[in-house]
Amino acid sequence: MTTEVRRGIDWGQFWCPGRRDPFTADEMARAGSDPPSPTLIAVTCLNVALVAFVVLQAAPAAQTARLAAALAALVAGCAWAARWLWWRPWRRPLTIASIGMGFGLLVVLLGASARIRDRTEAYAVVFTLALCGVVAIVLLTLLVLWRAQQIEGRLREQAERAKAIEMARRLASAQVEPHFLFNTLASVQHWVQTRDARAAPMLEALTGYLRATLPLFDRPLLPAADELRAVERYLQVMQARLGAERLQWRVEVEKDASRAQLPPGLLLTLVENAVTHGIEPQLRGGSVVVRGARRGDDVVFEVDDNGPGPGAEASDGTGLANVRQRLALHAGERATLRVARGPAGGCTAEIRLPWTGAGEST
Amino acid sequence: MSRSLRCIVADDEEAPRRQLIAALRSAWPELQVVAEAANGVDAWDAFLEHEPDLCFLDIRMPGLSGLDVARRIGTRAAVVFATAYDEHALAAFDAGAIDYLLKPVDAPRLARAIERLRARLAHGAPAPDLAALVATLNAGLRRPPPLSVLQASVGREVRLIRCDDVVYFESDSRYTRVVHEGGDALIRTPLKELLAQLDEHVFWQVHRSVIVNHRCIAAAVRVDEGQMHLTLRGRPETLPVSRPFQGLFKGQ
Repeated sequence: MTTEVRRGIDWGQFWCPGRRDPFTADEMARAGSDPPSPTLIAVTCLNVALVAFVVLQAAPAAQTARLAAALAALVAGCAWAARWLWWRPWRRPLTIASIGMGFGLLVVLLGASARIRDRTEAYAVVFTLALCGVVAIVLLTLLVLWRAQQIEGRLREQAERAKAIEMARRLASAQVEPHFLFNTLASVQHWVQTRDARAAPMLEALTGYLRATLPLFDRPLLPAADELRAVERYLQVMQARLGAERLQWRVEVEKDASRAQLPPGLLLTLVENAVTHGIEPQLRGGSVVVRGARRGDDVVFEVDDNGPGPGAEASDGTGLANVRQRLALHAGERATLRVARGPAGGCTAEIRLPWTGAGEST
Repeated sequence: MSRSLRCIVADDEEAPRRQLIAALRSAWPELQVVAEAANGVDAWDAFLEHEPDLCFLDIRMPGLSGLDVARRIGTRAAVVFATAYDEHALAAFDAGAIDYLLKPVDAPRLARAIERLRARLAHGAPAPDLAALVATLNAGLRRPPPLSVLQASVGREVRLIRCDDVVYFESDSRYTRVVHEGGDALIRTPLKELLAQLDEHVFWQVHRSVIVNHRCIAAAVRVDEGQMHLTLRGRPETLPVSRPFQGLFKGQ
């Protein structure tokens, strides 16, 4: 997919118009398999008929029949070429068709102007037909250019959609980080071996977390309440691992906000970031607070920690970059992610997105 | 062998640490676990206190990371990293021929690791190549900039002391004594924690309980085979240099 935008005039297009590279059979099958629409055909026919009528009215009365026949031949040839080009809208076929049309026009011209005695009438016929022929070739060119753009547009759209799906898939598989999983299992294993009572609740929380995260990405949107359940399980697991002195947490989300529809995985990523960068590096641990509230037409979620705060160079890791992209895909400019030093130190990550009214949370 | 092998185990999570210790006890009974640490700062302190033969270090720990501790230990003890699955770490371990254990530790794998370690310890451990490891793994670790100002409570006021003005830090029971150009003060942060926050290129640790601003050092004086002390520019007092740090001063 070429993404470069060319400025200025491409003179190559002047001599030899059309897209340089042919579409592959696969590209045509994916984005160019539609036949010309009946509407397009009807409108074209109507216009051609109208133009033909006007041209014939303007022509010398004695030559009307001759001219009508010649025009019919021209239209038929043009229609055939258009149908042929519809399935191959790029440079080489267009060039071939244009040359073919040129020859056809020449033949028609010679045929139509032969044995006309009146010079003025002969000129009129030749001039009219030549004009119509040139217009026909220009129309074919425009058709090819338009059709190529249509197909390119569709391919671009498909590529973007595929990228979004791929990103969601990658996010889904990256979500359950092996490091997290194996560290958690290390604790579970020890507690099971030593018959520690902490094993059972830990396994329960881990199971809940996995159950909530693994199908999380199947849906494009889900109620915040569902995602918050995964977040709570995650925090329970981390608290069991790190101990209650090292990690305190609470979730304060208004009922209204918990019904908001969100792209999945956003809150979880922010909370995982808070634990990984805000809590774990601190000797004394800290706390994570998740807040959510509806503000007018928007819903705002906030994840605070009291860790060392975002670095001065504040560059997004892959997690945050993903969150940003997913927000943009979901609501464009209106959805924002802000990561900043919190009012009491630490780091505050805030996502704000338009309230997409919710169905019942499940 | 006159004395048994001694080791320390450091992991910021209690359960994996206990699990590793239990596994070591049953798989390697003659190895003595002399200390366990719940963060990198304690691990380094425990190393200085016990000078063990072997250190089991988790990579991600608060204070100092396992890598930081390993770098400080250098060749003075064999280091075995313990980590949960981490692609980058594993690649770096293999590239640098560095010993590691995967958490959760299982008996057969631990037995293999112990086998390798014993062989290595018997031949005298070669210095592991930590450079590649540090380069790979430090990219993932975000660390705050070094401390620039200290806040010391003196009576009812809080005095701000610029780190550049500090001559040395000395551990004083639960406090740390800060000796600076304008006098001295006590702060509550323990020395071992302060160590992780200071710029290590400026502040050199020379003893388990002394960190000195290297710009203030006048000379290192060897008293006898095992003892060394530092004299300071324009100051009468001397500071002790303990054995693990005497290598800092070997002349050029």
